[in-house]
Amino acid sequence: MSATTGYFIAGSSWLHRRNPLTKLLALGLVLLSAFLLPPVVLVGLVALVVVAVWSAGLLRPTVRAMRIPALLLFSILVVNSLFFPGATDKLVTLGPLSVSREGLTFGLISAGRVIVAFLASVAFLFTTLADDMLETLIARGASYRISFVILSAVQMVPRMQARAGSILEAQQARGLTLEGSYLRRIRALVPLIGPVMLGSLVDVRERTFALEARGFGARPGRTAYRIVADPPVDRWLRLVIVLGCVGVVVAAVSGILR
Amino acid sequence: MTAEVADAAEAAAAPAAPLAIDGLSVRYPGRKAAAIEAVTVAVRAGERVGVAGRTGAGKSTLALAAAGFIPRVVRARVDGRVAIDGIDTSGAAAVALLGKVGIVFATPANQLSASKLTVREELAFGLENLGVPRAEMDPRIDATLERLGIGHLADREPFALSGGEQQRVAIASIVAMGTGVLVLDEPTAQLDPAGTVGVADLLDELARAGAAILCVEHDPVVLGRMDRCLVLESGRPVALDVPGAALARAWTEIGLPAPTLVRLAAAAGLDPARAFDEAAVAEALRAVRVRPTDSATDTVAASEPTATTWSPGRERAPVRIAIEDLVHRYPGGVEAVRGVSLVIEPGEAVAILGQNGSGKTTLVKHLNGLLRPDAGRVLLDGEPTDGRSIAQLAATIGFVFQDPDEQLFERSVEREVGFGPRNLGIPGAAVGDLVVGSLAAVGLLDQRATNPYDLDLSRRKLVALAGVLATDPAVLVLDEPTTGQDADGVARVGAIVEAYRRAGRSVVAITHDMEFAGRFGRIVVMRDGEVVADGPPEVVFAPVNRDLLASTGLTPPPTARIAARIGLASVPLDVAALLAALGR
Repeated sequence: MSATTGYFIAGSSWLHRRNPLTKLLALGLVLLSAFLLPPVVLVGLVALVVVAVWSAGLLRPTVRAMRIPALLLFSILVVNSLFFPGATDKLVTLGPLSVSREGLTFGLISAGRVIVAFLASVAFLFTTLADDMLETLIARGASYRISFVILSAVQMVPRMQARAGSILEAQQARGLTLEGSYLRRIRALVPLIGPVMLGSLVDVRERTFALEARGFGARPGRTAYRIVADPPVDRWLRLVIVLGCVGVVVAAVSGILR
Repeated sequence: MTAEVADAAEAAAAPAAPLAIDGLSVRYPGRKAAAIEAVTVAVRAGERVGVAGRTGAGKSTLALAAAGFIPRVVRARVDGRVAIDGIDTSGAAAVALLGKVGIVFATPANQLSASKLTVREELAFGLENLGVPRAEMDPRIDATLERLGIGHLADREPFALSGGEQQRVAIASIVAMGTGVLVLDEPTAQLDPAGTVGVADLLDELARAGAAILCVEHDPVVLGRMDRCLVLESGRPVALDVPGAALARAWTEIGLPAPTLVRLAAAAGLDPARAFDEAAVAEALRAVRVRPTDSATDTVAASEPTATTWSPGRERAPVRIAIEDLVHRYPGGVEAVRGVSLVIEPGEAVAILGQNGSGKTTLVKHLNGLLRPDAGRVLLDGEPTDGRSIAQLAATIGFVFQDPDEQLFERSVEREVGFGPRNLGIPGAAVGDLVVGSLAAVGLLDQRATNPYDLDLSRRKLVALAGVLATDPAVLVLDEPTTGQDADGVARVGAIVEAYRRAGRSVVAITHDMEFAGRFGRIVVMRDGEVVADGPPEVVFAPVNRDLLASTGLTPPPTARIAARIGLASVPLDVAALLAALGR
């Protein structure tokens, strides 16, 4: 992950060529569908997103990225399977613990929703430049200052990650150990978090001055250098997606798919 | 010229000057003393004015005020006047100064917008904010890049550039906005020698094009190329003249350690105004043939700081380091170190030189296990480091990082310095002694109750150094210990290195400061992950190695360069040695 491009992976696939707003709306449609429509839809949504990232040549980095929610998914499945409140249909019993059908079902549905949300978000981040998103939002009336601050906050993540790595090295070099009891590990966080926060404040001060000097937000009538492509097909796609969103909400509210 | 006469001359020049500072005093809230007091200087179009002085002299405050950030952004009580193109900055809105004045700081990465894919887009960022029509942007960007000689960087990603290139892009981004006044606050503090020269060349070019430049700087390479130099001491101006003359006057009047060339010019009886003309200094020295007992040598010695000498906290067995055929590859396959073998004996002080990216830091991070080799091994007294944790190795190898802010977190200097020894299980009473001894060695014993973040960067670096000294390691590893330090700070670090070596312990230091490197008994030069020179500084800096050094972006220290010009057979590494060689 680079400090400039964030999670973006350079490419020219059909997904890369879509306008950021089209992809943002598509992400919204997938999320609405995952959380509002019946669970059976989740299988189709996972397949749809996987095919999309595969056709964009991003299957391998997407699979690698699945390491991030792996622990969360595992926890959702285990906790719900073993401790679902009011469960009566026990599938397997191991000593004092039982796996219930209700818990396992709920766990699978919840995990499926997390997987769909994560995959769709990853597909968006891998194919969308943050700067393109910024320009797109500003062109549609969003506040430049607020959009830039949000973008900068997102792009600070890789810098803070790199900084945290350096701080960990610096404190380990002074004998800090990250092993032992939980209390010891929690105590070890203080010399790690402190420099991350304090150092970031020092950086922010200098960055604020640098942005001031370059006229950030100083006057209205800002122009844009970067031209974000918005082919006609995207406009049609957005119309279809918006209609899809309306359809999902209507279906969910009316319960016609249940 | 008296101060009053100089001020009057500056005030007379002010109306025509793009940057006019008149009787400026700045006092921060809650502080009794003024940060700067009664500063008057007019920077004319096409003029470069350097600002020099000790750490804490008020240089950065002057830079912020000159760029219009005080009192508009940084609250402070201001007396006197700063005018940019005739606009009084004290009451001016940001938009009134937009495109007229710009500022560049020390950390290259912080100067960039962090949102742009290419250098071209980075330059467009300011133009967008100015509301420049898109059709006009590319011609302005191309013209700026071309004029500043960085057209080849146009389509590169800003964060993939070296520090020196990033700093030139940051300056270009300001210049592209049509800015006529450029303020720089230690722009080369974190650059290697090649990057420093690149920035100095760029400032020359900007001045030729008519920009007014005010540049706070420690590095004589940059200071010597300014048209004039303002020296501050405790916030007050003590000299404003051509660089050599101003620095010579500050040396004699307030004891501010002078750059080597200024001291040599004084020894040769050369007009100090010509001190940064190496050929003139060499010619004058050749003609005079001074003796080593001349007053200049004595004055040099007198300018060294009087910090308490470091002494070992405990008896420690010496440690021999052996690096055998070490290879390190980063993810992605970049081979940063390629088969390096070195032996560092107890009591050796080794300086590692080379451009950014030559593999210096990667190499030394293997000494305490921060990185593990992909091939080869590191042995401490014959024992491989493979199975030992970083924390275990920390008891033997003390590592001081370049950026102190990656380490400081405690609420007082004393607690911060005690963090390392407490981690290593050193008994409480001994920790107290080690903390006091370390703080005395870096000259910060009187700051033990201060919050580290209330100190400036150079003193935070000394706190970080004390924090590692207090762990009492057998081997001290320093990564760029002199960046951002004034001459006193450099001398303090040098004294610690010498004391360490005398105690039979080893020091390994990465540095871009050739004069500082000359204090070490051995120099290792790296290029593209390999060692290309290894020997005493008198050998590595010999004229025969000039091309080799140039291929790594390095030049010998000024005394060695002057000696080569004179045709001396020896390679003197400081003023005293050069004068001694001439006196024979």
